[in-house]
Amino acid sequence: MTQTNEVLLSVRNLSVSFTTEDGEVNAVSNVSYDVRRGQTLAIVGESGSGKSVSSLAIMGLLSGKSAHVSGEVEFDGQQLVGADPEDVRKLRGSRIAMIFQDPLSALHPYYKIGDQLIEAVQVHNKVSDADARKRAAEMLDRVGIPSVEQRLDEYPHQLSGGMRQRVMIAMALINDPELLIADEPTTALDVTVQAQILDLLRDLQKEFGTAIVLITHDLGVVADLADDVMVMYGGSAVEQAPVREIFYQPQMPYTWGLLASIPQVHVDSTRLDPIPGNPPSLINMPTGCVFAPRCTYKNQVPNNLCATTKPDLETTSSGHSARCHLTAAQRDAIRLEKNIGRSN
Amino acid sequence: MFPYIIRRLGLMVVMLTLLSIVTFLLFNAVPTDPAMLTCGKSCTPELVAANRIRLGLDQPLYVQYIDWIKAIFVGRTYGSGTQTFPCNAPCLGYSFRNGEEVTVMIKAALPITIYLALGAFVLWMVFGILSGIYAAKHHTEWQDRVIMGVALVGYSLPVFFIGLVLLIFVVVRLHLLPYPDYVAPQTNPVQFLQTMILPWISLAILYAAYYTRLTRSQMLETLSEDYIRTARAKGLPESVVVRKHGFRAGLTPIVTSAGLDLAGLLGGAVITEYIFSLPGLGRLSIGAVTEYDLPTITATVLVAATFVIVANLIVDMLYAAIDPRVRLS
Amino acid sequence: MKKSTSIRFGVGAATVAMLLTACGSSSGDGSTTGTKGGTLYILTQGEQILHLDPQRNYTGEDLAFASGYLNRTLTQYTLSKDNATASKLVADLATDTGTASDGGKTWAFTIRDGVKWEDGKPVTCDDVKYGVSRTFASDIITDGPSYAISMLDIPKGADGSSSYPGPYKADAAAQALYDAAVTCEGSKLTFHLASPSSDFNYTVTLSAFAPVRKDADTGEKYDDHVLSNGPYKIQSYVKKSKLVLVRNDQWDPATDSLRPAYPDTIEYDFSLPADVITQRIMADAGNDSNAISPDGIVPTQLAAVFSDPKFEKRRLNDLDPYVRYYAINTKKVPNVKHRQAILAAANREELRKIAGGIYAGDFADGVVKPNIGVDYAPTGLWDTLLGDKVPVTGNPELAKKLIADSGEPFPNPLVVDYAKTPTNDKAISSLVASLALAGITVKPNPLEPGGYYGVVLDPAKQGGMSAGGWAPDWSNASTVLPELFTPSGGFNMSQYDDAAFNAEVAAAKAMTDRGEQAKAWQALSVKSMQAALALPTRFGKEQRLQGSNVSGAYTWGPYGSYPYATLSVK
Repeated sequence: MTQTNEVLLSVRNLSVSFTTEDGEVNAVSNVSYDVRRGQTLAIVGESGSGKSVSSLAIMGLLSGKSAHVSGEVEFDGQQLVGADPEDVRKLRGSRIAMIFQDPLSALHPYYKIGDQLIEAVQVHNKVSDADARKRAAEMLDRVGIPSVEQRLDEYPHQLSGGMRQRVMIAMALINDPELLIADEPTTALDVTVQAQILDLLRDLQKEFGTAIVLITHDLGVVADLADDVMVMYGGSAVEQAPVREIFYQPQMPYTWGLLASIPQVHVDSTRLDPIPGNPPSLINMPTGCVFAPRCTYKNQVPNNLCATTKPDLETTSSGHSARCHLTAAQRDAIRLEKNIGRSN
Repeated sequence: MFPYIIRRLGLMVVMLTLLSIVTFLLFNAVPTDPAMLTCGKSCTPELVAANRIRLGLDQPLYVQYIDWIKAIFVGRTYGSGTQTFPCNAPCLGYSFRNGEEVTVMIKAALPITIYLALGAFVLWMVFGILSGIYAAKHHTEWQDRVIMGVALVGYSLPVFFIGLVLLIFVVVRLHLLPYPDYVAPQTNPVQFLQTMILPWISLAILYAAYYTRLTRSQMLETLSEDYIRTARAKGLPESVVVRKHGFRAGLTPIVTSAGLDLAGLLGGAVITEYIFSLPGLGRLSIGAVTEYDLPTITATVLVAATFVIVANLIVDMLYAAIDPRVRLS
Repeated sequence: MKKSTSIRFGVGAATVAMLLTACGSSSGDGSTTGTKGGTLYILTQGEQILHLDPQRNYTGEDLAFASGYLNRTLTQYTLSKDNATASKLVADLATDTGTASDGGKTWAFTIRDGVKWEDGKPVTCDDVKYGVSRTFASDIITDGPSYAISMLDIPKGADGSSSYPGPYKADAAAQALYDAAVTCEGSKLTFHLASPSSDFNYTVTLSAFAPVRKDADTGEKYDDHVLSNGPYKIQSYVKKSKLVLVRNDQWDPATDSLRPAYPDTIEYDFSLPADVITQRIMADAGNDSNAISPDGIVPTQLAAVFSDPKFEKRRLNDLDPYVRYYAINTKKVPNVKHRQAILAAANREELRKIAGGIYAGDFADGVVKPNIGVDYAPTGLWDTLLGDKVPVTGNPELAKKLIADSGEPFPNPLVVDYAKTPTNDKAISSLVASLALAGITVKPNPLEPGGYYGVVLDPAKQGGMSAGGWAPDWSNASTVLPELFTPSGGFNMSQYDDAAFNAEVAAAKAMTDRGEQAKAWQALSVKSMQAALALPTRFGKEQRLQGSNVSGAYTWGPYGSYPYATLSVK
């Protein structure tokens, strides 16, 4: 893995809200994180946690709707929030690319694969059709699609789901971007195909040195691919840490719940412990900790603090921070009791 | 695709034949005797009988039908004694009410209706689609509300009202244009345009309102599709996203409606033709119906039906061209 | 749609109409002097002139138009605003108004010298003879009057059809029959009739008796290009669009005292919407100040036109040729007192309101209309004839009294036949209500409009009372009273057959002194109302508007039309 410490994407206090008929929806509240060149940040959370919306905000894809974006997003030193939409557009597809969950609906059904790839090349580069097509063929070949020339002239509905996601990846990487945002790239795929796609992403990251923001609800995927992890809940970051820390020293009850839901063949299946209750409505956010209504341990915190005061994102060790009113001792005790976190 | 078209055209001939038979049968079921209608005040049974022979109504229905079909291929002769005259193939019959060969009348009326329909079609498609796209792009903003309000008004106005108001104000009161007086475009292009502009606008207002609404709702639907997000994520300029990716995907229902609306108009825009004194197919067919003029009724019905069938065929072929998932076989 | 057709067959209004004939001669009373030149525009919603072929033309307005501009007939009516004057005959293509002999069985006319066709050839006696013969070709020459067939002395078969099939199909023997009935000696044309007629010279005002030249005859197609012998000829004729007449340089004004031929061009514009025609003439802009329209003012603008003094000089509100009435079937209602009770009970004002109010017409006092000329005199129907005054809203008390006086109950129910239209439905509802006040039960019998007269003219199918409308074929009550109220008439919906009445009608028909004849018709008109043979409801009226440059416009009584021959534009 290419290792540099240079920060490529720096997000500070990013908030996104939508005006709807029912009221103001606070989809993302005060999220901050860094992505370094060539590295992978995994943003983990349930649906509705704000993980997809935050990345769409970075891409400038929320503009024109009733979305309000605030905070700072710096990409390679360039401020994106409040920037000329045209400047942001030029970044999209060239330096920042994105792939989506369902490759069938994400590819245009009426245009040939080749045409969609060629369009992606030509929008950012003045190259001939023939050169663009050559580049498209090259990329398809590289993402492991056989009979490339034939595929170029086929339509999305003529390909399998895995092949389509490979096409999406090829299209995203065709301009050699520095940052790839992969929004649940494997969720819609068969389990066996999921692994192939993840392997492919990893290989391509090595080859191109692309930084990846991997959005997923599946901590199992995170373990394979990520360098850093940010856990989101109810629009807020509730825990941020290097991937090892998340698995070995998780600090936040929600993260514990996520870890507990990973099926693990080598552990006792009785420990599989889904989180009770439902994700919060983003319209009427609880005044205290967003996770409090579902938190099993809130009674261990005195003065009903969890329900009244939102905890700060508190650094617990180097590069590791979490939002929780539990004391360090309480957390250690619970982890020990519940056998949460991997033993060495 | 070629065998498919041949098969569809074959089917069209069968349908038109059936339709002509049904028209003959229906006509025969009307209680009014066409021979009585042209008999006048001093009508006597002998005159009615003579008239029946003249109109060909003395023959059994199937003989009338066979004669009619035969004349399409070989022509026939009308009149009697020393005063006969030919009706040359393709002879669709002779209209005794209009004193003219039906083929001649159709040939005269058809171009007028085609010009009327095509001109209005171009206008309403351009304005309807552009304003629909514009409204969709400004969804929830004031531009959208203004356009949709205007479209609702346009859509609610009956065409005879639009036509009469335009004619009376633009021509009768304000003298901005001369009275409609149809001439063929090759004869006098300026007069042709002066005559056609108001009918085009009258029809276009009605249809453009509908196509604005249709286009807007189609665009709103397709612009929320995942592949539109992909297109934006590729960094495509918004205009390309809307036009190339959004509009094409929303085109199918628009093409369906457009094909059928155009075909319907080509069968004759009765009210518009009436208001603007355009002797097109609509007037011809309505006149034929009110005067029990069988050969003209049959011919105009067949012409209108042909347009609808051909339009359906073209729409189906356009589907295949627009959406690769549709394959014709 | 041809307005003339629907009027003629009365489809909408439940009348069968007939037509008047005659054409005009202007000189006498066409006192206004017009300006030469310009174009007269005629605007109509019709798509064509129903028939320009003289033997097929049988619509009042079209007859006045064609005779004014294109085809001359042997005799013609005087062009005058005054109905009595207008009903007088003048010579046109003939040198005089005809000479009767053999008690009215033989009529002779002399063709005027110097009258030419538009190609310069003279109009001959043989041309008239040939033209008249075309009426017999009834399988081609349709829609025209059939007087030539019924009146000329040519043998008829058992079924009433003529032994002469017309010039297109006749063999030598059949042609000989016609040649014996109509003869030419030089320019002297003689008609031999099957039975005496005192007013055959009125009959020949119909263009069915106008000349057609054999070598120009194209049968069915002659409608599209008639050869003119009048002051104008057809320059172009595009059905549904326009007919343009220009001056006929072969027409010699010295031969024609009737047609001043003022405008240089006549343009007939077809296929215009009715509302637009009225709006255009009201606006009076540009060429429309030279425009007339035979279609009448649309009902929605009548109030505007008649309440605004600026239209005063441009509007007309005159009688049309039609009388509207309900014929009472004397076979179903044989008691005269019962028939009189129907007349007394009807609310005529309400009937007129339903038909359109004051613009729909005047209250009628008989079936002979004032615009027929000398044959009309008030009958006193509503003042004295029924024994008491009858207001326009009806007099149900009088009706009840009449039924009581009859000594027998009214033969209820009274079946009333009518052509089913929304307006007629309302009229019948009114009759049901007003007659009920007198104890008469009306049973409406709505009939399909297209087949209406086929039903009611069949005695087996007719009810007790039938809606009708009638216009005379020429300006003589001989085309009204005998037609409506005697067995020899073609339109005897009253099924009246009274020996004394028949004899008086026959005597009146044979009278050669026009003044005496008029008195006889006036007396018979009173008798027909005394016998309550019909409930006359309206003398129909028509409202018209013309452009401010049009002079000489009035309603010409014989046709209820514009006096085309004398119209001019400034």
